[in-house]
Amino acid sequence: MSEDFSRRSLLKAAAALAGGGLLVGCAPGASRSATDLSYWHLLTGGDGTVMAGLVDAVNAAHLGFHATQTVLAWGPPYYTKLAMASAGGRAPDVAIMHASRIAGYAPGGLLEPWDLDLLAEAGVHESDFPARVWDKCHYDGKLYAIALDTHPFVLYYNTEHAEKAGVTEALHSLTTPEEFTEVATKLQQVTRKHGLSYGYLGDGSQMWRLFYTLYRQTGADMKLVPGRQAEVDKDAAVRTLTFIRSLLNDKIASRSGDGGTATSEFLHGESGMFFGGVWELPVLKDAKMPVDALPIPTLFGTQAAYADSHTFVLPRQSKVSPERRKHVYTMVAEILKRSVKWAGGGHIPAYQPVAKGAEYQALKPQSNYAGIPAYVNYDPEVWFSGAGSDFQNYFAENVQNVFLGSGDPAAGFDGFVARLNTLLNRPQPV
Amino acid sequence: MSKRDETLAGWAFAAPFAVLFVLFLVVPAVYGLYLSFTGETLTGAGSGLVGFANYGEALTDPDMWKSLGNTVWFTVLSTIPLVVLSLALALLVNLGLPGRWLWRLSFFLPYLLASTVVVMFWSWMYNPTLGLINGVLAKVGVAPVAWLQDPKVAMISVVITTLWWTIGFNFLLYLAALQNIPEQQFEAAALDGAGKWRQLFSIVIPQLTPTTALLVTLQLLASLKVFDQIYMLTNGGPAGKTRSIVEYIYESGFTGYRFGYSSAVSYLFFALIVLVSLAQYKLINRRSAA
Repeated sequence: MSEDFSRRSLLKAAAALAGGGLLVGCAPGASRSATDLSYWHLLTGGDGTVMAGLVDAVNAAHLGFHATQTVLAWGPPYYTKLAMASAGGRAPDVAIMHASRIAGYAPGGLLEPWDLDLLAEAGVHESDFPARVWDKCHYDGKLYAIALDTHPFVLYYNTEHAEKAGVTEALHSLTTPEEFTEVATKLQQVTRKHGLSYGYLGDGSQMWRLFYTLYRQTGADMKLVPGRQAEVDKDAAVRTLTFIRSLLNDKIASRSGDGGTATSEFLHGESGMFFGGVWELPVLKDAKMPVDALPIPTLFGTQAAYADSHTFVLPRQSKVSPERRKHVYTMVAEILKRSVKWAGGGHIPAYQPVAKGAEYQALKPQSNYAGIPAYVNYDPEVWFSGAGSDFQNYFAENVQNVFLGSGDPAAGFDGFVARLNTLLNRPQPV
Repeated sequence: MSKRDETLAGWAFAAPFAVLFVLFLVVPAVYGLYLSFTGETLTGAGSGLVGFANYGEALTDPDMWKSLGNTVWFTVLSTIPLVVLSLALALLVNLGLPGRWLWRLSFFLPYLLASTVVVMFWSWMYNPTLGLINGVLAKVGVAPVAWLQDPKVAMISVVITTLWWTIGFNFLLYLAALQNIPEQQFEAAALDGAGKWRQLFSIVIPQLTPTTALLVTLQLLASLKVFDQIYMLTNGGPAGKTRSIVEYIYESGFTGYRFGYSSAVSYLFFALIVLVSLAQYKLINRRSAA
């Protein structure tokens, strides 16, 4: 009898526990106070550490709220989760999004616009941002994002090798593809391995970043409007791809370089130059190597640089707490004001009082490329493009063979455009 | 306890599982079927019921066929060695080698690893410039191979990784089955003058038929549903040569936002799996009836 009883009570207790768990699971945030901010981002590695430091600093300032950051994996995992959280209306209070993804999120009502008045109250104004960056944060005339930075694709070089090869001057004044090849060849003679390191294998983002920088330098544009054929300049694309392929000849640069290989090659002095994002800077600096950085030289006549921006967005919530929302404005403003710390990771601060400040200007080599926001090029604006999107995979699918030297540039680019047209023809899902 | 009470108790005990089964399997499956007839998107901006449009699009979508082709190719490339090789390994270990536990352990151990660990490890092995495989090949004068980036070899690389990772399970099942064959049969055969090969083909392989049938079925289903190691090793590349149908479903739904379309593709794939399973079932039944 007593045995029976205890078993039954055990089952009851278990059922109660399970039920309780379900209830709690169904009502997240019910217990969240108006001062607890949830903040999602995709910044890991060095960037993650700096961001964590910024969040801690802002929390420690006792401004009446406490932000908790949730870090998710870069790329599709992050963007899918953010979209689903917003579609379900239970999104975080604030999140980081690449400027290039806004076009995919704003039209579907997954984001809410920022209120310029509240922003001004927090001390942030349009005049605090470079015009191109500020414009990029808009969709349909409304401000959907506040930029934290601009992070372009740049050219690093080994100062010792450059000195030895006698190309330091030339590196700063390159104007044609031929000159670039000549400098790379001279550097190769010094390193005896490669003149240039560039990791792209299996990485659509990397292929796209270099291609788009050079493609835009030819003055060509890429306009993608759903329902219409992609507007591209095939001649410019072929010219660009042919040049990239000429560099990847296993002499100037390795034909089979992936991200890890390229970085380690450059770090070990086995090459003189390195195409990489500014976010690679901390690793290079930690290695105490003699490194400097420049914008990718203008080789095709028009100044252009591929870049993206980390921005703050307000994902859609079905129930908005105005009080928490107000704290979000303060939090973002406070992080912007401290963004010289963020610049330590290589990024160009978007907030001009910081970017123009003496502390940032003294940062080397960061301030060498501080002018890029004036001529920055973001991805073509369409719902399926942007950082870590399928768009870059489609590019890789069609042009990796060209980079590897086995595919025809024109055919590779045609394949990419055909894929774009398929996507543009489909009903837009956002 | 009366019969009725027993029935009630049975239901009560089954209830936790039944609830979860209905909640997380039946409901999503039915909902998915419904979605496949709609233009639903991730953001809810969908266009309502569209009839069979998604199915029509899927059947004429070259990317769907390409992914399906890749999946079938992977299944062929992986299933055969996963069955044949595991049998060979089991036979070798069953010969009575010294340190049998060590062989058993080393063949089975990779199976216990998470796919992420396996992929991490093999990504390094396959690295075109720093990888162990190309390093060894270079020693014997073979030019470096871009294992995961060359469209011609990427699928083979994925299969090798899969073999290394999962063969242990099949191996263990075969080994157990081998050890169940009565010793007397071998003695009797030996007395009748049957050699080792004769014994293999007349006793061992026929006795292992149920195990083989089971393994082929499990393996076919597992290979058709391949996703994680490919997604992490190559992300479907190069040039889409390793994109599996499950990855295509994932991409259409979660990064392409087209839930309706991706549900339709997954239901087509489901139909294919049912067909394969039925064919298997028929085949095995006929064999065991014969």
